[in-house]
Amino acid sequence: MAAIDIDHLVKEYPNGFRGVNDVSLQIADGEFVILVGPSGCGKSTLLRMIVGLEDITAGELRIGGQRVNEKAPRDRNLSMVFQNYALYPHLSVRENIAFPLRLKKGVPEREIQQRVDEAAGLLELGELLERKPAQLSGGQRQRVAMGRAIVRQADAFLFDEPLSNLDAKLRGQMRSEISRMQRRLGTTTVYVTHDQTEAMTLGDRVAVLRKGVLQQVASPRELYEQPVNLFVAGFIGSPPMNFLPAHVRGDQLDTPFGPIDLDERRAAAVAGHDLLLVGIRPEYFEDAGMVDEVKRPVGTTFRAQVDFTEWLGDSQYAYIPFEAEAEVRDRLRSLSQELDSDQLRTQAVVSIDAASRIREGRQAEFWVDTRKMHVFDPRTGDNLTRDAEAGAELTRQVQHDREEEAGAARGGAPAVIDVRGQGAHQAARPGDAIG
Amino acid sequence: MTTTADRPASAPQLATTGTGSARSRGGERRRQVAWVAAAVVIIAYALIPVLWILSLSFKEGDDINNQRFWPSALSLENYRIVLSSDIFLTALRNSVGIAAIATTVSVVLATLAAYAVARLEFPGKKVILGSALAITVFPIISIATPLFNLWRTVGLYDTWLGLIIPYLSFSIPLSVYILSAFFREIPWEMEQAAQVDGATAWQAFRKVIVPLAAPGVFTAAILTFFAIWNDFVFGITLTSTEAARPVPAALAFFSGASQFSQPTAPIAAASVLVTIPVIVLVLLFQRKIVAGLTNGAVKG
Repeated sequence: MAAIDIDHLVKEYPNGFRGVNDVSLQIADGEFVILVGPSGCGKSTLLRMIVGLEDITAGELRIGGQRVNEKAPRDRNLSMVFQNYALYPHLSVRENIAFPLRLKKGVPEREIQQRVDEAAGLLELGELLERKPAQLSGGQRQRVAMGRAIVRQADAFLFDEPLSNLDAKLRGQMRSEISRMQRRLGTTTVYVTHDQTEAMTLGDRVAVLRKGVLQQVASPRELYEQPVNLFVAGFIGSPPMNFLPAHVRGDQLDTPFGPIDLDERRAAAVAGHDLLLVGIRPEYFEDAGMVDEVKRPVGTTFRAQVDFTEWLGDSQYAYIPFEAEAEVRDRLRSLSQELDSDQLRTQAVVSIDAASRIREGRQAEFWVDTRKMHVFDPRTGDNLTRDAEAGAELTRQVQHDREEEAGAARGGAPAVIDVRGQGAHQAARPGDAIG
Repeated sequence: MTTTADRPASAPQLATTGTGSARSRGGERRRQVAWVAAAVVIIAYALIPVLWILSLSFKEGDDINNQRFWPSALSLENYRIVLSSDIFLTALRNSVGIAAIATTVSVVLATLAAYAVARLEFPGKKVILGSALAITVFPIISIATPLFNLWRTVGLYDTWLGLIIPYLSFSIPLSVYILSAFFREIPWEMEQAAQVDGATAWQAFRKVIVPLAAPGVFTAAILTFFAIWNDFVFGITLTSTEAARPVPAALAFFSGASQFSQPTAPIAAASVLVTIPVIVLVLLFQRKIVAGLTNGAVKG
């Protein structure tokens, strides 16, 4: 167990390109931190720098307070799960898991077997121990890779997109298994992913990277509700946040969906800007006909033409095209390219009640809750209306919850955790047969 | 193959009935007969000389003039002559020793070199692989005479080492070429995983990379062994006495039971004897060789 201190780390390639640019991040002992970002943002490189597979150009990396920049991977006492698992094809599952122990001098055979059996028990690999990796399904290989990681009692676990080779169903099961295992073992974990469901559900804190630069580190809730900039706001959330062009008119914002009133704090924040982008999440919208009279005053209503709707049973999305000047269009297009999405037109995605009778191709009246909207400067991308204190509070809560949970796990409420663990197991069974 | 041949033929069959199907079946039969005939011809072409040598080796005394393919009576006399002949036995010892040493050294060095070629980026890497390939097709006869002169000057003439060195210089490039292709197919991550698991570079190489490349190592070893075992050019030019002369060269100096009889039959017996280790090796490692030549190193 150890804390990981990432102190102004830089990875510069021979051609001068900086894959990781001045990233600083303190990971507490036992914390589960997610590195997330679109492809090419440097998240995997950062992970490989931590584990020692990439050299560090500048900055300092400390594990448990000790500088490890110059240490070889084997001396850092970390364990890693690779994207394609990197199981040794010539060794049985048992020997794969035992491999790290066999490399350590002086671990008696009895202890090796006992620890392998323990890890196998934890991951339900008991019956597979004598098989070769080629005879396993994707989910089983994934579990063997995890077994190999936990058997050595390393200072930290590092995961490099461990679930990206699994199908969607298995991914959900393995996600809960990883989460369960991490809580139970209480081991510091760094997890790289580009999947934001994994980022939101697994992490105590999530670090969003963009082109090698750290954008924001916060609890999933804070990222969602108080993003620091356009990039984080657009990256977190699915469907993504809508960005509408807006001009300041007194204490109102003029948007394609009509004027939006600004409260005092926001009005002060946007003063002096001309062109702005208003960020509103899909679920802040509603079919005006389905809104409570009580809630109505906190938002504004507007009429718009609906392009098409998607009814999903429990929810419904409507797509509303809007006009935007060239500058905004270009900005939004380059943003969506950066985010690996390919939104071609300027349209808002709004989430409306599944019972709503709004139909495509017609005018409809919508209501939008403006309390949680954010206003961005399109040139710098900064969030002008971020409430830092509210955001920090959200992250503090998560931290508090985690400490409480860790305390409970150590202090003797194992029954509760076991019950939850078995639930996850039972859920994992049927999927394995398929995979 | 049969299905593709069937399909165009059976389509008109529906319309014309009877005759069409008979014709197509006849064509099919003829094609099969042609294949079998071709196979028989090729096998016969390859095997008859071998059988001829085998048959000669069992002919006693003047029986080699019996003007028939098979011996009149099976006799082991030639084998007795060969196995009691010093020329053959020392040559066999030379051959086994030289081939074993050269193969071992060659495969070990080639494995290390190929690993470096596959894993490291360094200037001149393409040149190394290119020249490795060029050396394997280099006509060895052209350096036999210069080597003869050089070896006599430096005192390597007619020694084991004098043969092992040129064998190495021809077998290592080929092995490097074969093995680097194998190593390149083993994912980097295998090794990185091993390093994170606590292995030194050497442990990762020995415990993960080499076992995965085993089919390639076997292939390289066997090809090298055969090439050295069968070599005649160096064997005859770089040796003069029994001190280092290998079997293929020694056979040319074979005199038979008495100096007045042609040693044809004993030479045939010796040839059969030196072929046996090769056959045994091939049978033992057949699977590995085929896997080595056709498969990649890592599956799944």
